[in-house]
Amino acid sequence: MADIVLKDVSKSYGAVEVLERVNMHIRSGEFIVFLGPSGCGKSTLLRMIAGLEAVNAGEIHIGERRVDNLPPSQRGVAMVFQNYALYPHMSVRQNMSFGLENIGTEKGEIARRVDDAARMLEIGALLDRRPAQLSGGQRQRVAIGRAIVREPQAFLLDEPLSNLDAGLRVRTRVELAQLHQRIGTTMIFVTHDQTEAMTLASRIVVMNNRKVEQIGTPMEVYSRPASRFVAAFVGSPSMNFIPVTGIETGADGLRINVAGAQLATTIRQQPKDKGELTLGVRPESLRVAQDGAGDITGQIALVERLGDRTLVHVTLADGSNVVAEDEGKSTLAAGGPVSLKVDGTATHLFDAAGLAYHAD
Amino acid sequence: MIRDKRSEYLAALILVGPFVVIYGLLFVWPTIQMVMLSFTDAPLIGPGDWVGIENYVEILTHRLFHNATWNTAYFVLLTVVPNTLVSLAIAMAVNRLKGWQQGFVMACFFLPYILPVSVVYLTWNWIIDVQYGLVQYIVRPFNGGEPMSLTRTIPFFMPTVAVVTIWWTLGFNVLLFIAGLRNISPEIYEAASLDSAGRWRQFRKITWPLIWPVTALVLTIQLIAQLKIFDQVYLFSIGGRQDPTIVLVQYIYKLAFQQNKGGEGAAAATLLFAMIIILSVLQYQALRARGEK
Repeated sequence: MADIVLKDVSKSYGAVEVLERVNMHIRSGEFIVFLGPSGCGKSTLLRMIAGLEAVNAGEIHIGERRVDNLPPSQRGVAMVFQNYALYPHMSVRQNMSFGLENIGTEKGEIARRVDDAARMLEIGALLDRRPAQLSGGQRQRVAIGRAIVREPQAFLLDEPLSNLDAGLRVRTRVELAQLHQRIGTTMIFVTHDQTEAMTLASRIVVMNNRKVEQIGTPMEVYSRPASRFVAAFVGSPSMNFIPVTGIETGADGLRINVAGAQLATTIRQQPKDKGELTLGVRPESLRVAQDGAGDITGQIALVERLGDRTLVHVTLADGSNVVAEDEGKSTLAAGGPVSLKVDGTATHLFDAAGLAYHAD
Repeated sequence: MIRDKRSEYLAALILVGPFVVIYGLLFVWPTIQMVMLSFTDAPLIGPGDWVGIENYVEILTHRLFHNATWNTAYFVLLTVVPNTLVSLAIAMAVNRLKGWQQGFVMACFFLPYILPVSVVYLTWNWIIDVQYGLVQYIVRPFNGGEPMSLTRTIPFFMPTVAVVTIWWTLGFNVLLFIAGLRNISPEIYEAASLDSAGRWRQFRKITWPLIWPVTALVLTIQLIAQLKIFDQVYLFSIGGRQDPTIVLVQYIYKLAFQQNKGGEGAAAATLLFAMIIILSVLQYQALRARGEK
């Protein structure tokens, strides 16, 4: 068990910078998820921790040791690859024992650890098969098993669920969470899927465009996004953004003018840059007013019925499009007018630089 | 899409027909003719009388045939496995290079392969020449300071021709191995490096077993090619005593074209044909079985 500390870690390929001064402190036993769109550098960062990519500048510490100059085998980490990277010519048992054989672990000990891991992952019956004879989900388990037997200080998982079909992905996600609870080892998990991040993480590292945008618990990231990017990337359907035409200071917080209406919010902090402001409000905080007496009105463009709730796509007076929520039994139809109620205690204000101010 | 059955057959016939005709005319028919000829006492041109298995008995008791068989086997031993191992080593080295460097080095190794045998022979004849050959600088210290003709000293003849043959033909094997190596996912090596496997263990436990199907193919292609060896051995032995270094195809050539014994030549050719088929099938099956274990 060990903390993982990254200090000003940077990476570039020639003149192309892919990571810029990344700092973070991962506490022992945490389930950390690197979340971000393709090409944001999250996989590269994971591979740098693993030792598969060189670090151009900065330091990586695992436990008491500085590891950024050590080869992968000496860092005490195990990795699960996106395509599993199982050895195709070896049986499942050989795949799992290979790493232990290489460090000269005693035969009986290898067998004990492989059998334990196989029991935990329910792959005991597959030990004599080759990877080609396994299904995607089984290969996934073998890849995890291969990591477990090494009893590493941290597991590094590079989009391990992305090759599974939808149902299996959800099940494996749950199993992974249970596995983490049981063995308690630090896990770093890379994904572009915000549902995986929200459900698995103790803390999420949201990355975009070579940089870390925010590090926080799933609820922090969701309810107090540090930037407009984080606000837009986390949550489904995505947060609504409405251009602000003016702000006034009210009794409980800022009063914000948007699309011909004034909304009372509990945002207390005055934005430093008052240039181009945007109001952010999540669909569940923008509800259809049943009595027609909402804060803001618009035209219904589309109605999506999800059963338990209804998503209403609305075009506001200033032409901006938002998604609002209504109850499951909604009778609304496209084309009609609608009045929306804004929950002022769950609003966010973003300045031109993307910096966020939250309602308290 | 549902197509008319008859037009399907017609299309198939048009596509396959030319090959079948050419294959039958230029391979199957001559092969049958050769086997028939081997049971007659025909000269090189014209028909002969049926003599049964007399030609085979004659050849199998012929000292020169035994000579040729041993020489061919010796040549196969000197070339097939060494060529395969050297090709694999070069392929692994070339595979580590990137971009234009890889292309350039690859081209350097492949270039000899496109040369005709006459050019290869002349080039190497200069290199090993007794009076001014470069190789003599290496040979002299081992020969009491005296130069030595490598192709006129019988024990050195086959090894010399083997080295030239390996130099000439390894480009193609390197190409096959590089294709095979590129098929091994880099992630597997990354997983192995996380699994504490050093370079040698990665080669022994990952590369060697995964490249085995290509190795088996290269070994088999080599075996067939080297059993049919003729050109280099013939060219390098011109002007010298040919019998001590004679190989099987050369023996067939000698019987048929120099001694005008068409029937015996055909019998020797039939024997070689059978030998190649049996050996290559046996070898390939054995290698495949090894790979599956």
